[in-house]
Amino acid sequence: MIPHFGLRRRALLAAALLSLSVAAPLPGGAAIGGSSSTLRVCADPDYMPYSARNGGGFENKIALAVGRALGEPVTFAWAPMRGPGGFDGFLRETLRAGKCDVLMDVPYASDNLKVTRPYYISSYVFVFPKAKHYDITSMDSPALKNLRIGFEADTPAEMGLKLRALILHADPYEIGDEEGVSPAKILDGVQSGKIAVAVTWEPSIGYFLRQRPDLAVVPVPNSRSQGSPEQYVFPMSMATRPDDGALAAKLERVISQHKAELDAILSAYGVRLYQPPAS
Amino acid sequence: MKRQAIAVALAAALFGLGAVGVAHFGGTVVPGLGNAASAQQQVSLASMSEDPGQWVMPSQNYENTRHSALDQITTSNVANLKVAWTMSTGATRGHEGQPLVIGDTMYFQSAYPNHVYAVDLSDYHIKWQYTPKQDPFAVSVACCDLVNRGPGFADGKIIVDALDGQVIALNAQTGRPVWTVKNADPERGQTLTSAPLIIGNRVITGVSGGEFGVRGYVTANDLQTGKQVWRAYSEGPDTDVLIGSSFSGAKGQGTSTWQGDQWKVGGGTTWGWYSYDPKLDLLYYGTGNPGTWNPTQRPGDNKWSMTIFARKPETGQAVWARQMTPHDQWDFDGVNEMILVDLNINGQTVPGLVHFDRNGFAYEVDRRNGKLLLANKFDPSVNWASHIDLQTGRPVLVSAKETHAGVNVTNICPAAMGNKDEQPASYDPQTGYFIVPTNHNCMDYKAFAVKYKSGFPFVGATVKMYPGPGGNRGAVIAYDPTKGEIVWSHPEKFPAWSGTLTTNGGVSFYGTMDGWFKAVDTKTGKDLWKFHTPSGIIGNPISYTHNGKQYVAILSGVGGWAGLGLAAGLTEPTAGLGAVNAAMDLKNYTNLGGDLTVFSL
Repeated sequence: MIPHFGLRRRALLAAALLSLSVAAPLPGGAAIGGSSSTLRVCADPDYMPYSARNGGGFENKIALAVGRALGEPVTFAWAPMRGPGGFDGFLRETLRAGKCDVLMDVPYASDNLKVTRPYYISSYVFVFPKAKHYDITSMDSPALKNLRIGFEADTPAEMGLKLRALILHADPYEIGDEEGVSPAKILDGVQSGKIAVAVTWEPSIGYFLRQRPDLAVVPVPNSRSQGSPEQYVFPMSMATRPDDGALAAKLERVISQHKAELDAILSAYGVRLYQPPAS
Repeated sequence: MKRQAIAVALAAALFGLGAVGVAHFGGTVVPGLGNAASAQQQVSLASMSEDPGQWVMPSQNYENTRHSALDQITTSNVANLKVAWTMSTGATRGHEGQPLVIGDTMYFQSAYPNHVYAVDLSDYHIKWQYTPKQDPFAVSVACCDLVNRGPGFADGKIIVDALDGQVIALNAQTGRPVWTVKNADPERGQTLTSAPLIIGNRVITGVSGGEFGVRGYVTANDLQTGKQVWRAYSEGPDTDVLIGSSFSGAKGQGTSTWQGDQWKVGGGTTWGWYSYDPKLDLLYYGTGNPGTWNPTQRPGDNKWSMTIFARKPETGQAVWARQMTPHDQWDFDGVNEMILVDLNINGQTVPGLVHFDRNGFAYEVDRRNGKLLLANKFDPSVNWASHIDLQTGRPVLVSAKETHAGVNVTNICPAAMGNKDEQPASYDPQTGYFIVPTNHNCMDYKAFAVKYKSGFPFVGATVKMYPGPGGNRGAVIAYDPTKGEIVWSHPEKFPAWSGTLTTNGGVSFYGTMDGWFKAVDTKTGKDLWKFHTPSGIIGNPISYTHNGKQYVAILSGVGGWAGLGLAAGLTEPTAGLGAVNAAMDLKNYTNLGGDLTVFSL
């Protein structure tokens, strides 16, 4: 897929990767600075609801809960995730620079990281005014054909809209690329009528929905109706540097032993939890 | 629970949640007819299936041959075939099933909302109708249209799967539920679309939902009470897979062929057809693709996805397993039917199992032990593997057709729909040929690694499907299992997505997605007769007698994966990737809607 949107970001990412490739390889985790008895978390100072310097984001709260469970103090290394280098730039300045050892929230199976088993599963969602009563249950719902759709660029939402030619009447948002922009912006679009329906990652907007009871939220189910597999539901994990297996194992233990506490934090931030597959 | 509440609220808002329940038509239900049912109890299902006048199992018999021994309709008189009677199913989505005929009653089930009908064959009045009350949330997690593959029967009960995971036993005389169990949970991405198979006192059902990381399983419920007797997973520890002392292969592969605990989202769903050998007392079925699409995310063979399983129906214990496509990179589900016939290979007669896989190879296996005897291509265009190594059973891959994250791999044949999907083949004992409905599409496949754009996860693949060499998207073929060769090929414009039926009259029947129901000469593939039904056909023909006269019946009602562009109203020319592209012009030939059409001379 060659996305129509986000070309600017792609160029920046390429630049970031280039500079990464000339950077000296880093030695492994605990050896770099800091005490092994401190949980050192990489975080964004200004990206609610994920993280904020005042500790107000759910990643911060999750980090503190993990620290409590391990009996370790928690420190944060701050850097913007949405700076010029994007998420890779963030990793370069934080985790890979040895300034911190843990990421609280990345997709399970991410490359070049040691990810834990998922501690929550969430989904992309449709958001629209309840009063409209749109009959939207999947990307294939006919109602979408006649609606202005706002979506986060460079995500599965963009791919799903392209596969169905819905992209022709859709507007991209670049919240994940633009420092200082609140994920609530796409909800503003729905409420102002600029777009009829939004497609975005639920954890980015669940926190803002409490003040917006007029909005309906419907999960986007995975699909292969177009032949291409489309994944809208993602398991999310904590992560360490690839060679930091000992720390990852500690995090795994916290996840299995303190699941209820982590769930409660996520729920308080409007992160709806999807059940893991049966086992 | 919160999630459940949301689903229910959604359901209430969107669907009105009208309870349907049992409705009776045609006046009184005569309880005295129960005698007929109890008489049937005395006769085993296997011996009932030997009566060609009835059609008591989804695939006609435990061996899944879909062959009728009836011979009134022949190559010389089939041109006179006429419509005898028709009936609407009351549903519009994909009908992938077939009716049952037990005594003087025909039973059939529609696509979602899964109406079930009992029709009196003497005057076509509806003896009863039943529609399960379902959780409509299931609609949004059904991957490939809202299909159903028909009911099962045993011991005076009609057993039906509902899309939302219910398995319901209905009194065959009254349509009243005897028991209901829930074997799949749409909240976890699980749905039911397949036809149950009843073996002795066990009701065997599978599960759909590989797209959602569902860990596939097969469930056996007690025929009398519905109580779950066993459940065998496709991946995980041997205790979950029901691999024990009777298993012929290496232990522990349900976890050791995965990285970490990825087997927990291992896929390997079980939505195809089931068969059974009463002599060996073995149940056979295939498992689907591994749960995570992107193969680079799941190193290893990913067992037991893409596998033929043989199990003891009483306990579920696995006896042998043969994986066909290790570490699947192309989405070649292994769920297609296993047809049990005697094979004559190298001058020796062997109790065989023949399976035309999505991956384009016809697996011929000794069904006693899983030993691979022959595995030839049943479409010459197959190019992802050069051949199957008969010693190891592994495909010999063509490296240029392997998929990699970030690389657009072009012209892989077959496409993800396979050279054949669930549409069942039949076996004609007179010619020794399998009559196989096939797909003939190729694809470009580009997978993406998981990435994180600050705050937003992304993974995916784009698949573009298009007609294979020659430009036809399907064909019905005759396949000689002794030689491992195609005998004749009858090209079709669209994927041949209906089942086939062979008969002792030398005539084979099948339907096409553009609505034609066709009769061809089993020996030569020559066209003998055709009729245009109200909708495209993805159901499977059956034959039965009533008052001594032979009838042939088919459910039309297009949809399914191949027809989803039409079923879901996706017809913009620019929605040109994947399945819609492969059958986009279907709308010029047919329309949605379920109907039963029955023919006779």
